[in-house]
Amino acid sequence: MNDHRPRLISLRNPWFTASAGAVLILFLFTVFVGFVWLPSAQNDALFKGLLNAICSAAGVPRAWLSEASPPVQPKAPVSSVVLTPDMLGGPSSGGSVGRGATLALRCTMCHGARGVSAANTPNLAGQYEASIYKELRDFQSGARTSAVMAPMVVGLGDQDLRDLSAYYASLPRGDVSAAQQAHAMPNIVATGSPMRNIAPCGSCHGDMAIKLGAPWLGPQPHDYLKSQLEAFANDRRHNDISAQMRNIARNMTADEINASASYYAGSK
Amino acid sequence: MAETFSAKSNDTAALAARLEKRWAFMMVSIMALLVGVMIFTGLHWAMMPPSRVETINPSTLHVSGEFVESNLGSAVEADGSITVRIIGQQYSFTPQCIVVPAKTPITFRVTSADVIHGMLITGTNINSMVEPGYISTFKTEFEQTGDHLMPCHEYCGVGHEAMWANVRVVDKDAFSKMAAKAGRLTCDL
Repeated sequence: MNDHRPRLISLRNPWFTASAGAVLILFLFTVFVGFVWLPSAQNDALFKGLLNAICSAAGVPRAWLSEASPPVQPKAPVSSVVLTPDMLGGPSSGGSVGRGATLALRCTMCHGARGVSAANTPNLAGQYEASIYKELRDFQSGARTSAVMAPMVVGLGDQDLRDLSAYYASLPRGDVSAAQQAHAMPNIVATGSPMRNIAPCGSCHGDMAIKLGAPWLGPQPHDYLKSQLEAFANDRRHNDISAQMRNIARNMTADEINASASYYAGSK
Repeated sequence: MAETFSAKSNDTAALAARLEKRWAFMMVSIMALLVGVMIFTGLHWAMMPPSRVETINPSTLHVSGEFVESNLGSAVEADGSITVRIIGQQYSFTPQCIVVPAKTPITFRVTSADVIHGMLITGTNINSMVEPGYISTFKTEFEQTGDHLMPCHEYCGVGHEAMWANVRVVDKDAFSKMAAKAGRLTCDL
């Protein structure tokens, strides 16, 4: 019985030729639509011509801005540090804690013998290595200005900065959890103010998430945090890459600046 | 008995063939309709086939090239069109306030410095993903002056809800007055 049935997949089966043929024709037509017709309808020189249309629709990378005025160069130096997760990694480029400790003698008069001080300078003990390294490089390039720090970083090589960063990152942080728990987390730290373009502090500086290059803020002196937030807000400090922090600080109220500084300082 | 059976089976075969034909016709019609919809939206609406692919290193945007901070914002080109360059980053757009003239061809160039963001200008058909490593380029023209909200509409992290910018469309004269003063224009504070 089966011997008499025609084979299903065969050119002699009219059902097969008709259905497979129709699908093939439809497929070729849609290829034409997607790669030639629709791209050609776009108003852009790089879509004109058969090869251009096909390459563009297929996603071949190319330069899409043909003529443009040259980039405006910055008036003041901006940060040129390239932040990547492995920027300080590797056996050859990684910092040496011991060498950093020796170099750090010049830092101790302001930042304390073990990276903690009462001089309203930033506490460096346990700070992220990448954050310390970035600020040091910015002090060197002039992207961040400070009458005190500028002379201190003159003459330090890139390896010196890596060693210093590794040393301070290796020191134990002070116990801040108790101090911070004394204050309820203010709204600006916990939720920010989405309606005013302010992300929560905790979304980059710890508590909720950490962004590479953003410093750990607890505990830092209240006056230091406040002065830096105000400097960002007034554009006096501009070494944050692509205005990341200025965008936030500019929208903060004086009360919010105070509240966040107090919270991270662990004091009233 | 045998005759009836065979007649019945012929009937069934004919019915099956009819049904198959109808089914095939419906399927092909549905596919043709979908292709038709694609062509229509591609030609008459803003729908676009795969976009303009262009790559860039997201970690060095601030060091050199067209996305350095001083080059962000609206630039007036020689042919009178406007090029707007924007960076999306956790958790803001730079510039935060974008100013463009109405009734002028505008090219947006947008990229991300960290994770995938999105941009959508409310009240217009501008809606694009902003991906690290790629530059989103698209052209548009605003017919009317007015203010638009430009939220990030691609979840980008815990501060996502605070990430948005303003787009201010001003009339041509007001824009050219502003353009006389500075190199790149924004309406940031």
